[in-house]
Amino acid sequence: MSEAGSLLGIGFNDPFTVGLIGLAFMFVLVLSGVRVVFAASITGLLGLVELLGWGPAAGIIGTIPHSKSSTYALSVLPMFIFIGFLAFHAGITQQLFNAARKWLAWLPGGLAVATVMATAGFGAVSGASTATAAVFSRVAIPEMLKNGYDRKLAAGVVAAGGTLASLIPPSAILVIYAIIVEESVGALLLAGFLPGFVSALIYAGIIVLWALYRPKEAPAMEPSTWPERFKSLPGVSPIILVVAIIMSSIYYGWATPTEAGALGATVVFILALFKGTRTKTIVQALMESAKLTAMIFSLIWGVLIFVRFLGFSGLPEAFTSWITNLDAPPIVIMICILLAYAILGMFMDAIGMLLLTLPVVYPAVMALGYDSIWFGIIVVKMAEVCLITPPIGLNCFVVNGVRPDIPLGDVFRGVGLFFIADVVTIALLLMFPEIVTWLPELMRG
Amino acid sequence: MNDSTVKSNSGFIATLDKLATPIENIANFLAGLAIFILMFMGAAQVILRTVFNSPIAGYIDLVQLAMASMAFLGAAYCQRLNAHIRMELFVGSLNGRALWAFEIFSTLVALFIIAVLILYGWDHFVRSYDSGDTTIDAEYIVWPSKLLVPVAFALWFFRLIIQLIGSINMFINPDREPVGIAKIQHVSEVANDEIKETFGTDVPDEGGLKS
Repeated sequence: MSEAGSLLGIGFNDPFTVGLIGLAFMFVLVLSGVRVVFAASITGLLGLVELLGWGPAAGIIGTIPHSKSSTYALSVLPMFIFIGFLAFHAGITQQLFNAARKWLAWLPGGLAVATVMATAGFGAVSGASTATAAVFSRVAIPEMLKNGYDRKLAAGVVAAGGTLASLIPPSAILVIYAIIVEESVGALLLAGFLPGFVSALIYAGIIVLWALYRPKEAPAMEPSTWPERFKSLPGVSPIILVVAIIMSSIYYGWATPTEAGALGATVVFILALFKGTRTKTIVQALMESAKLTAMIFSLIWGVLIFVRFLGFSGLPEAFTSWITNLDAPPIVIMICILLAYAILGMFMDAIGMLLLTLPVVYPAVMALGYDSIWFGIIVVKMAEVCLITPPIGLNCFVVNGVRPDIPLGDVFRGVGLFFIADVVTIALLLMFPEIVTWLPELMRG
Repeated sequence: MNDSTVKSNSGFIATLDKLATPIENIANFLAGLAIFILMFMGAAQVILRTVFNSPIAGYIDLVQLAMASMAFLGAAYCQRLNAHIRMELFVGSLNGRALWAFEIFSTLVALFIIAVLILYGWDHFVRSYDSGDTTIDAEYIVWPSKLLVPVAFALWFFRLIIQLIGSINMFINPDREPVGIAKIQHVSEVANDEIKETFGTDVPDEGGLKS
């Protein structure tokens, strides 16, 4: 199989058909349980062999893993990942929850509102949704149950609150989006802040409404005194420091995202040492970070091999012209795309789903006239919703894993409320794209 | 099938597994170490540049070259621990020979593409070594970084071979004790792994962990 066209007999005469066959082939491989990195890269290789012949195809893909991985922009990923694995050991979760409780517990459903705000705060040092859900299953659920909260609500708020971490910087998934679509990493990280905060407010709002409707499921508590409230603040200062480092460095440009991530990680690392974290645990966090980094980088170069083939096939351009010629307003097409993501996300891992679909979907969305940063936030929000939808909503399984006494069914029922909140958030982001674009545009001046 | 063949067979796989495991652990640890160093270097770079106005020379070039260690050295370790993502919804519902047939197929696919990447990644390294190319800014030599691709992928290939033999072993007799294979995990098992990774070795609080 050295000549072009030796696999299918099509070669470069009809690259579009080769592209379609390749797409279908990869889909079958992924469904058969082939790991995404292998499915994407072998499809890329075989597709390029059909279009260009063996020599050029293998020559091209042989350079891709190294050349695509050794870029400075990607070096922010291991930093964010390491922060995530250390965040729990820095011992800030309990203080965060305490502070949020002192300030917010007087509200109807106050403890649940406090949980949402604390998960959002924890999301500011950790980019990992599942880790956030795991940590708060331990910190917040016992408190809520002790105070007479309905266990469905208590479990649901933690599972859903965990998803906030992926929008609030530092967020690994936003970095991956930026790399794949060749956008500014800093702009995307900055753009996620406000939508993450808005998501948290909408979660809080829906909890308050629910608690007013069913006060027995989420009783309000005695308000704390003002001195008590202010006394709780020093405990959360490390979080404020990390947020200030990451946000201000990107906004004012005094450090690159990697440097900001490194500085943030150093702060969290020192905190973890102060909390008496053992060397063994630090080494373990490094081993886990290295493993996750290898997984994400494999996905990135695997998908980029596939993307190289797609580029030669002209499939993305064909899909784009098909989408733009549809006799439907862009907003309808956008809603269809989001629905497709919602369905796909029920069965696929968030990062895998984004990486496999974006090479085709992204150019079409751009041709429809949408903003690339805005679309990144929307699509990551969609991917996060998938972490709480059945049948494989990982966050719900995590809550159930930490609290086996709360049946999985109850967790899934509990997140129903927050699923509605997420739909509201996405609708808001569709109607008011400024929520996303305001901060990055302010930075660009 | 008598007991002794079962034992000798899985004994062979177990030997290979014992051989590969420490090497994979060391490679992954080196990747972790690179992350640790990158963290301190990044923090030092910010402080040196903004406070003392004397940044580390060639910092960006160094980071770029170091990326290869973080990107590739953990790949085989990741394979052993079943962490490279896959869609398990369909395969996870299979049992016995059908399951192992799919595992053999997907491992063969993986072996093929990794073999191609080892060969052509090696070429990529050899070209760089022969030409002695360097980074643009600080003029560091590039080939050691490129050499990591075939080296790390060779480890990955070896791990895939172990998993292939393990799957064939199970295909021949699905009643055997699984050795040297990455078990398909239900999402609840994935969740438990995530929980363990979050809390690390620290003693669990009340509420505790399942399993």
